[in-house]
Amino acid sequence: MNAKHVSCDMVRRQLSMLLYGELTFDEEEAVEAHLESCAGCRRALEQEQNLHAAFDQAEIEPAASALWESRQNLQARIAAEQAASRRAGWWDQFVDALTLRLPSGSPAWMKTAGALALVTLGFFGARLTPGTGFTGMSLATPDAQRVRSVEPAANGGVQIVLDETRHRVVSGNLDDQNIRVLLLSAAKEASDPGLRYETVGILNDRAQADEVRDTLIYALEHDENAGVRLKAMDGLRPFVQHPEVRKALAGVLLSDGNPGMRTQAIDLLTEGVDESNANRGPDMLDRDIIGTLQELMSIESNAYVRQRGEHVLQLVNASRETY
Amino acid sequence: MNHGAASLAQRTGLPVDEKALIQAAQEGDQDAFGQLVRAYDQSVLRLAMNLLRSQEDAQDVYQEAFLRVYRNLKNFRFDCSFHTWLYRIVTNLCLDQMRKKKVRKEESTQVEAADGPLDRMDTFQESRVEGDPERGLLSGELRERIQSALSGLTARERMVFELRHYQGLKLRNIGEILGTSEEAAKNCLFRATQKMRVALGDFV
Repeated sequence: MNAKHVSCDMVRRQLSMLLYGELTFDEEEAVEAHLESCAGCRRALEQEQNLHAAFDQAEIEPAASALWESRQNLQARIAAEQAASRRAGWWDQFVDALTLRLPSGSPAWMKTAGALALVTLGFFGARLTPGTGFTGMSLATPDAQRVRSVEPAANGGVQIVLDETRHRVVSGNLDDQNIRVLLLSAAKEASDPGLRYETVGILNDRAQADEVRDTLIYALEHDENAGVRLKAMDGLRPFVQHPEVRKALAGVLLSDGNPGMRTQAIDLLTEGVDESNANRGPDMLDRDIIGTLQELMSIESNAYVRQRGEHVLQLVNASRETY
Repeated sequence: MNHGAASLAQRTGLPVDEKALIQAAQEGDQDAFGQLVRAYDQSVLRLAMNLLRSQEDAQDVYQEAFLRVYRNLKNFRFDCSFHTWLYRIVTNLCLDQMRKKKVRKEESTQVEAADGPLDRMDTFQESRVEGDPERGLLSGELRERIQSALSGLTARERMVFELRHYQGLKLRNIGEILGTSEEAAKNCLFRATQKMRVALGDFV
């Protein structure tokens, strides 16, 4: 494309590819040169940018719970396949060959010989098959090794270079300090939201411990995934009277971007506030929370959250906003 | 794969060389396979969800794709990247599903509500939000128009658009995944954006 001869029509056809970074160097040069001198095409570019921005907002992010569920199902399917393939392993095939697949007219002595062969193989096989102490490569072995090179060594031996993918498997009770440290770290730092969701779910059962509660509060306040934040909120539910939990929930009310989270926070912070206690007025709720709700009313733009907040303020005979 | 506390150490560890991981998985190392799945499964689920607009269908594609990987990993010869190979499987499954849906005329413009905590909120967002620009939420009307415009694309146009716009893949890579040339993928993307522009032109 030549910058001097490029038409508005040609440029406008290229705008989307320009935004995707899919033009060749020369094409991009020509389009940009044209844009510098053409206000109409610059407006068209702006419109194209708006269109792309609208596309961005229509993207669906799967729920963390959907990812977690998919992984669980996959794990189950693979385990079932493994079990099936073990059943159809060499031993079964051998048994089939010796017995079931014999033609129906086969003489009885062949079946007897087959049975005898099975007993004999079973006897010797039991002595030759490695026991549970076998440490070679297996499906359950955490460390995978691959021979990269083999060289004869000077002393008549051999030098083998292995590529290793080394993992460490740690097992233990949730009350084990080492396990807990790993869980606390995974809940905060893992890049995978499915893993954080799962970890927070495990930790929820131990939220009576201060360090676990602190981690759940951290997840509630900082995790970028709403599913993980909601899971953390579930774990903190029994501790809603603790000042640090109330403070975190108040923070959710004022700064969490997800209206579902804000609604849940209202429900938790105002547990017990209902029509049956309405005669108690403001005593039903501590002043800080009333203040937070009033502050929320001044900034909340979601109609449903506003309605919930207003309902609570009405029940405790408080004004809708601070003055 | 082990999803219990026991496997958390390895799952939070440093990333290991992908080739070594694939080779280990090829030799039957279940943990290596699990790590491979976790490295890619979020984007696989997101792609399937965006293309099929149904959590159930997307989860079916997820299962089938990774089961195929599991069954055929031994035959993977590193002729292309693992990502390209996996995406070939996923895109083929999605294209099949999209064509079936088109035939049955069952495609919905709404994302299904599903069980689970986040979904409660997704449903909430879908149904309750009434314009909240500060919080980056999209008006229901525009969302519907985009869904409707997307459903007007052919399955291949839709695929190329999703892979380029939402997955951020380059057209060369998209061509490789879909078994076509970069030029053909570019033409497909051009047609897709053209149709979307016509459908949404007065809206943005």
